[in-house]
This record gives sequence, structure tokens and C-alpha cells, in this order.
Amino acid sequence: MKLAFPYMGEGSVAYHKLATMLGHEAVPTLKPTQKTINIGVKYAPEFACFPLKVMLGTYIEAIEQGADTIVSSGGHGPCRAGFYGELHQKVLQSLKYDVDFVIFDSVFDNPRRCIDNVKKMKGNNSFKTVIYTARTVYRSLKLMDEIEKQLQKMRPYEAVSGTCAQIWKNLQKEIAQAYTFEAVDRLRKDTQEMVHAVELIPVPEASRLRIGIVGEIYVVMESSVNMEMEEKLLGLGCEVQRSQYLGDWVDFHLIPHRISKPHELEIQKIGSEYFPIGIGGHARENMGWIKYFAQNGFDGVVHILPFSCLPELMSQSIIPQVSKDLNMPVISFPMDEQSGLANNTTRIEAFIELIKAKKFGSMLTKKVV
Amino acid sequence: MANLGVYLGVDVGSVSTNLVAVDDNKEVLFERYLRTGGQPIDSVKMALQELYQEHPDIEIIAAGTTGSGRQLVGMMIGADVIKNEITAHATATVHFFPDVKTIFEIGGQDSKIILVKDGVVVDFAMNSVCAAGTGSFLDHQSERLRIPIEQFGDMALTAERDVRIAGRCTVFAESDMIAKQQYGFSKAEIIRGLCNALVRNYITNLGRGKSLEPPYVFQGGVAANKGIRAAFEKEMGHPVMIPQYYGTMGAIGAAILAAENYAKTGKKTKFRGLDTVELDFVSTSFECQDCSNACEIVQIVLDGVPVISWGDRCGKWSAVSKGQ
Repeated sequence: MKLAFPYMGEGSVAYHKLATMLGHEAVPTLKPTQKTINIGVKYAPEFACFPLKVMLGTYIEAIEQGADTIVSSGGHGPCRAGFYGELHQKVLQSLKYDVDFVIFDSVFDNPRRCIDNVKKMKGNNSFKTVIYTARTVYRSLKLMDEIEKQLQKMRPYEAVSGTCAQIWKNLQKEIAQAYTFEAVDRLRKDTQEMVHAVELIPVPEASRLRIGIVGEIYVVMESSVNMEMEEKLLGLGCEVQRSQYLGDWVDFHLIPHRISKPHELEIQKIGSEYFPIGIGGHARENMGWIKYFAQNGFDGVVHILPFSCLPELMSQSIIPQVSKDLNMPVISFPMDEQSGLANNTTRIEAFIELIKAKKFGSMLTKKVV
Repeated sequence: MANLGVYLGVDVGSVSTNLVAVDDNKEVLFERYLRTGGQPIDSVKMALQELYQEHPDIEIIAAGTTGSGRQLVGMMIGADVIKNEITAHATATVHFFPDVKTIFEIGGQDSKIILVKDGVVVDFAMNSVCAAGTGSFLDHQSERLRIPIEQFGDMALTAERDVRIAGRCTVFAESDMIAKQQYGFSKAEIIRGLCNALVRNYITNLGRGKSLEPPYVFQGGVAANKGIRAAFEKEMGHPVMIPQYYGTMGAIGAAILAAENYAKTGKKTKFRGLDTVELDFVSTSFECQDCSNACEIVQIVLDGVPVISWGDRCGKWSAVSKGQ
């Protein structure tokens, strides 16, 4: 069995580790490139959303590298992503690719299928090994989330540009080799030391800018399909925090809530004010996050959605009201295969100017000399 | 006689390249509106030469650039401020109309609505996926109908009847216009219908969910078109003001921002002066083959030496040029 996983954010290196620890072969992680997007767009239905297209491209590239089994997560609720596993399978079949799918839905939706999937992945390992592996991978994900969240608050102020990026790169490399609890813990200690050693330019609290990123999980997390939005914001001197991190996703979808106590439950509750019922995807959570960001000292929110994403189109139409209620600037970016940057760059720069003017007062109103 | 200190603003857009010089009191001394014609570098050089010919006694204290070509031209002339066009436009409008609340700006390839409160931008919308209703489309139609773009608006005002044209998408708008023309409507009526359709589409697309309050200011190259102005006034039910320098507001904004930046920092300008005209300044591009992203790298070569690159996803090329 040679496994392949879709790539969604840098935490995806952990899947590779999961496969290796269970004795499976796995194709190297596949961060989408322009070529991936081109392949996906070519074979996917035109009106499917962008993540479906990019993931299809990823799968085809994986198969070309010898993958015979694709492991992916399913959707939850009315969002179309729930069909995507099946749809991908159909498209690949019609292209005469012979490939097996293992799709993990939310454990709570379909425990039976989940157990079957685990059995498939288990191979000849004992349950003890499987559990140990799962816990090691979980720890790795949590470590990556922890470090990433710290770095996202530091990067705008690093004295030597590139220091934080280097730590992050190093962690991705090392985490792939950390096969035991001890190794992960040691890596945490080492990385934390590096993080604390980063030289920062002192910036007073009042002149910091904090931007939250919300939206559809795939385009929020994967930089290659959101025109490097996070990079752009960090480059403009803003601290960022996303609504989605892989470890948080696992907490909410794969672990009983009384153990993981996911923050997302609270976020959902806040979001219910705008979406009393779940309409699929993370629409309700996103409203919750916008309010959370507003209440926690953030200055603005960037909302990213795939062009034609149903739940996020709903969010987009509610956002003007939410933004007004909370006095919080929010800007939406629909993402598609279009890769021209000029328009987005202008909009994001102007958005940050707007926030600065709101926070620090404007240069425009002041008389010049 | 001491040289006259001025601030330079350059707005390099898809269709036009505008260059202005303003003095200490933000009075516009010089204004040039040129068609970019795909040659932003040459247009800027030409406009600069004209500036120095008309005003040989000026000294440029600071320079700013804006528009989609702001990076390129900012690099070339040595700009002190490189700003996005939304901020630049709003800066200029607030200078001329301190009470403005809503700015309509229609340029060659993009259109914007900017909402202002107490002189500060509070919200904006910009066309993202569709260029329906921008100057380029009007240009194209004026060519097809063989009516010079300068007479386009006046002709719309002569129409007595309204023709309904679908403005959602330029492709459909064009086929609708052809259909109406085959029914026997006059050119003037069709043009008026087109103006109305563009404004309708603009307001529904960009104004969605926003409350657009007067005073309204309409600027950008398309503001020259009286038919569009009339359509705006009809749609909003309120007079719409057009600034004297409607076509170069972005450049004026860039000049004002450069002046403000100078007032704040007092830094000596990086502007290269008239030497810019002499520089052998070329932009080249190539496809990087180091990974399957195949990014298109744009490289600026100054006297044979690459000085800056962009377009790479991984930061490899832009990092090199930063290091130099």
C-alpha cells in the first residue's frame, strides 16, 4: 500500500509520519504548485469549488508518483465537500486511474466507517502501536500549532528578517523524524529555546496591528491557494491568527469533546448569534471567530473563500452586518485559479491603510506643514 | 532665483500614465495625462521631459507613485512613497472636497467605490473578477461604433429615449447592443443605454450592502464621459461632483502622500531627477524553472545590472535583489 494525502498547510508533514510509523509507504508531501492547479482545473467539473480542483490535481500527481491509496477527510453537514471523496473517485475512475480511497468523516457522524478505515490503515500493527502512533502524530500537530501561533505574533518585529521563517522551516524538517513522545518533547524544548532567542524590535502594544484570518478551511490554511495571504499580511507588519489549525481540527473532529475540550465549541456558540443552525463548512464558526477577534484586541479580519463556496457565500452576505455590529473592518477575497496578484495586493494594502487610519488617526486629515 | 520646490506624483494605470507636480500648497502646477500604450517606462520618461521643459526652475522635494505599475515606476524614478491607488485617490479627493462621503472612481481596468467619513477611508469595494463597466470596455465600444471616445458622452446626452441594455457582463452587453442596433435604435440611444447599464452594474456590484451617502465625487478617466455622469446622477438621484483634475486624481494623491511623508520624516528624496530619462531601464521577464510553479519572474535591469525582481512565490529572486 502506497499512501498519499492532500496537502493543507505545513502541518501536513505529520500525515507522512503517520503512514511511515504504521509501516506504510507514502509519497512525499505534495504542496500544490501551479502545475497541480492546472491539472485539477483541467479534469474537475467547472462549477466545483477551488479546493476540489486543487485536491484532484494533488491526487493525480500523487498517483503519478506511485500512490495506490488516497487518504483524505470528508465533509460535514450540507457543504458540498461531503461528496468530494466520492466525486474525486468518480473523476479518477473515468480517467482510468486505479486507486483506492480512505475517507475519514467526522467520527461522530459515522463511527462504523471510521472503524473500517482505521482497520484499513492498521495493517499488521497491534492496536497498541496504532494508538501510540496516533498520539505521537497528535502531539506533533499540537507542537506545530503552538510554535506557528507564537511565530505569527513575532514575525513582524523580528530584528533579522527571516529568523522566524527559519525556525518554522527547521521544525517542519525535524518533526518528520520525531517518532516517539520523547523525540517530540525534546523538539518542543529545542524549538522553544530558539523561539525565545529570536531578537525582536520593541514595538509598543498600542502601535501593533492584529489581523484575524477566517474562511473556508482549505484556502485559509494552504498558502499556495490563497496567494500567500498570511505572508502578505506579515510582510505589511501585521500579527496574524487563523481560524483554522490542524491540531484544533483534530480536537474538534476526531477526539471526544470531553477530553479535548475544543475551543471551537465556544466559537460555535458565539457564531450561533448569526447562524442559529449549521449551514455546512465553517460558516457559523467564522462568524464566531470574527466576534472572537473583535473581542480580543484584533484590528481587522480577512475573509477568504473559494469562488462559488456555498457556506462562505452565505457568510459573505452576512459579514457587512457583522462588521457594522462589531465595528470591525472585514474584507473578503474569493480565490480561484486566477493568479494575477495586482488586484488583491491593492485591496489588501488599502485595507491595512484603512485599519491604520481607524486605529491611529489618518494622515489625510492632518494639515501638512 | 531659488528653485521652486514641488512634489511629484505618478499614477501608472493600465490605460493611462499620469504625472503631476504640486507645490507646497498642493496647487497643481503641471498635469499630464498620457495613454500608457503598453509602455509605462517610455510614457513616464516623456512626461518627465515635458515637465522639465515647461518648468526648468523646479526642484523635486519628494516623489510618489501609485497605480498598478507603481512598483516598476517607483523603482525607476526613485520614489519615496509607493502607495496603492485606493489610498492615493481618497487622499486627493479629500484634499479638494473635505466633506466627501462617497467616491466613485472608474479607470481603465478597474473601478472602485470608496467610502469616506471625516476625511478617513472607512470602507471600499473594488471590482475583483470582472472588468465590466470600466474604461477599456467603453474604448472598445467607441471603436466598434466609430465614435471617438471624446464625443461618446455628449452623444449619449442627445438621445431622447432609453434603451435597456444588459450590463452584467461585457460579452452580453455587446451582443445586447448589437441586437438593439439591428432593431433600428440610433447610436445615441444605444450609447445612452450603455452608460446607464454600466452605472447600474457598477452600483449593484460594488455598492452591495453599503450605504452610499452624498456628497458624491466621480473621478478617473471615465469621468470625462458626460453620459456616465448623467447616468450616475439619475441612479443616485443627487448631483455628482467632478473634480477639475478628475483624470489625474491618483497622481495628485501620490504627490500629496509624498509631501506628507516628507513633512513627517524630512528625508532627502531618492528621486533620480532628469537623469531618469537617460537611464537605460528595461524590464524583462522569464519563467523560473526551478520547481513546477514555473513563476513568471519580472526583472528590472538598470544599465545592464538586474536591480530588482518580483513575481516569485518562494522569495528566492526577490530576496536576491533586496540583498544587493
